[in-house]
Amino acid sequence: MLDQLALLGMGLGNLFDPLNFSMILVGLTVGVLAGALPGITMLNAIVLVLPFTYLMGIVPSLLLMTSVYCGGVFGGSITGILFNIPGDPMNVPTTWEGFQLNKKGFVSKALGMAIMCSAIGGFMSALIMTVASPPFAKVALSFSSSEYFAVVFLGLASVVVIGTRSIGSALISLFIGLFLATIGMDDIYGVPRFTFGSRIMETGINFTTALIGIFAIGEVLEQLSQKNKEGVIERFRPKTTLPRFGEIWALRYTILRGLGIGTVIGAIPGTGATVASFVSYGVEKQVSKHPEKFGTGVWEGLAASETSINGSVGGAMIPLLTLGIPGSGATAVMMGAFLLHGIQPGPLLFNKSPEAVYTIFVGMLVCNLIMILAGLITAKFFSELMRVPENILSAFIISFCLLGAFALRNDMTDVWFMAIFGIAGYLMRRYDLPSPPLILGLILGPLAEKYFLTTMIGCGNDWTIFFCRPVSGSLMIISIGLLLMPFLRGLLKKGKKEMAVP
Amino acid sequence: MAQNKAEIMQKNAAPAIKSLTGPILIFLLGVFFFVLAGRLDENPVEGQLGAFFWPRAILILLMFSCGFKVLESFKGFGKGVADTGLEAPPTQANMGKLVAMIVMLLAAVVSMEMIGFPLCNFLFLLLFMRIAGLKKKVHLLVISVLGTILLLYIFVKIVYLPLPKGQWFFTDFTIFLYRVLHII
Repeated sequence: MLDQLALLGMGLGNLFDPLNFSMILVGLTVGVLAGALPGITMLNAIVLVLPFTYLMGIVPSLLLMTSVYCGGVFGGSITGILFNIPGDPMNVPTTWEGFQLNKKGFVSKALGMAIMCSAIGGFMSALIMTVASPPFAKVALSFSSSEYFAVVFLGLASVVVIGTRSIGSALISLFIGLFLATIGMDDIYGVPRFTFGSRIMETGINFTTALIGIFAIGEVLEQLSQKNKEGVIERFRPKTTLPRFGEIWALRYTILRGLGIGTVIGAIPGTGATVASFVSYGVEKQVSKHPEKFGTGVWEGLAASETSINGSVGGAMIPLLTLGIPGSGATAVMMGAFLLHGIQPGPLLFNKSPEAVYTIFVGMLVCNLIMILAGLITAKFFSELMRVPENILSAFIISFCLLGAFALRNDMTDVWFMAIFGIAGYLMRRYDLPSPPLILGLILGPLAEKYFLTTMIGCGNDWTIFFCRPVSGSLMIISIGLLLMPFLRGLLKKGKKEMAVP
Repeated sequence: MAQNKAEIMQKNAAPAIKSLTGPILIFLLGVFFFVLAGRLDENPVEGQLGAFFWPRAILILLMFSCGFKVLESFKGFGKGVADTGLEAPPTQANMGKLVAMIVMLLAAVVSMEMIGFPLCNFLFLLLFMRIAGLKKKVHLLVISVLGTILLLYIFVKIVYLPLPKGQWFFTDFTIFLYRVLHII
């Protein structure tokens, strides 16, 4: 314990090196900006800064990349709250509540709440990472494909709680998304599916195109096509207001739940912040006393999503540092940085390079505190855009969307898909088909299929394996409970009504 | 009471039928793709589920969901609108404006590769802002030009995105523009 404290002290001392500290500031700024721009994701930003680390030592390199990671997972919530455009799939649940809060006039506080919850989630998960890395890693290592499938299934089951007005519509939307995710070359067998002989279709549909199209383009078409609406609207300049301590304290259980879910799911390789965000949102809705209000601008939904996203960052670093197994796409790139400097992450890392490891720990703790400032500055920058008249802003939003879709794979196919999803997004809004489940299906579908089929191949098509293993069995039962909860609630309500009638 | 229920059912008939059209269409599409998947799965791997198990399972669940939605609609048929899950009538849409915006969007995607991103984006911004309600010609021109230049600087010079340069003489025009703006 004393050794750990001494190493932490050494790590803190390293942070005061001008180069190291400036890397945190640069990384945060780049990360938040990249996370906010749809199409230029946090992962792209980490890949873009990787070449710059060739000329640096291992400590500033890793501080730069972890700062980009921390800033990037938060950045997408800014544009989500302001413009209903989530910067990354993980920010979708934040957008659901944040944009509604914006419409209600609480945009300043929504931005402030998102910043604080992100900072708290990131800071606490970095603390957990510092203290509990080895035992966490042992549990994560015991996971096989059946556990991974159970985690993803839990994420998919959360769609039922998202479908407030009609569960049927939510399920239809989810299964459409899951089906669209099957288009292209199959990962397990290498067979083209529903490509109609087109080579372009073999690459499948990138979910980011659906995200940008449905949320951004769909929203623009909806807003501008409304009858009797003036093209020029008086825009205001929202400030960012950090929440008071009492407001944060009122959400303490939500934040704790989001932190726990984010850290645990983040520590499982192959899942990441997106799954954590959806699961946390779904669970929060289920435990809420007013689940019907979710989707209309509820603080608990915003807090749960943001805390879990940044909570997953510390979790994702655990398997990377302790086992050499990246917990997410971003940590996979960071592993490249380690190898570039001749360091092999894994169990021996703590013995061979303890200074580097503990500097990363302290760096992440400090990073999440400084992120409050970076978040305030970036939110102010994007908030200024709210003063721009809607007809000008909408045109530029679509331009950014075209560029963002092209930037994914430098391919016009993605731009086409984005435009088609944009029109579909508008139609879905008009005909009351919820779009979030479709996005969820597109994002989690490939993961669910991969883990399901891998398990079936390994277990001779014995589907009971999902319920026989303790962890996957528990998660599957929780998921089935989530799916049945709305019906049970309805029956309970009906029973109470009948009993009340004399 | 019976008369009230009949009145409610009559009132709900049109929106209920409208809400059923979507699920029925989706159901039929589901059947089409299910049959297609069966024909494509010519060489299933022995002892394994194969590449088309998952999409077919999803399509079956999709068809069940459509049936569930139809049941939901019928269940709410005799109730008030608030319980049916039927949305209150959406706000009226300006169809002309909507169609124009969709056409502009698709035209931008089609023309991007043909005439190059700079020219395409300039024309898109100009025309879209005009459709959206910005009337002053000077504002339209200035914002379109400056906006396009800003986007080029950010995405081509800083991010190094290889945006489409266009075909035929549009390629030369785009390269000329990049050189004038010191982007390349």
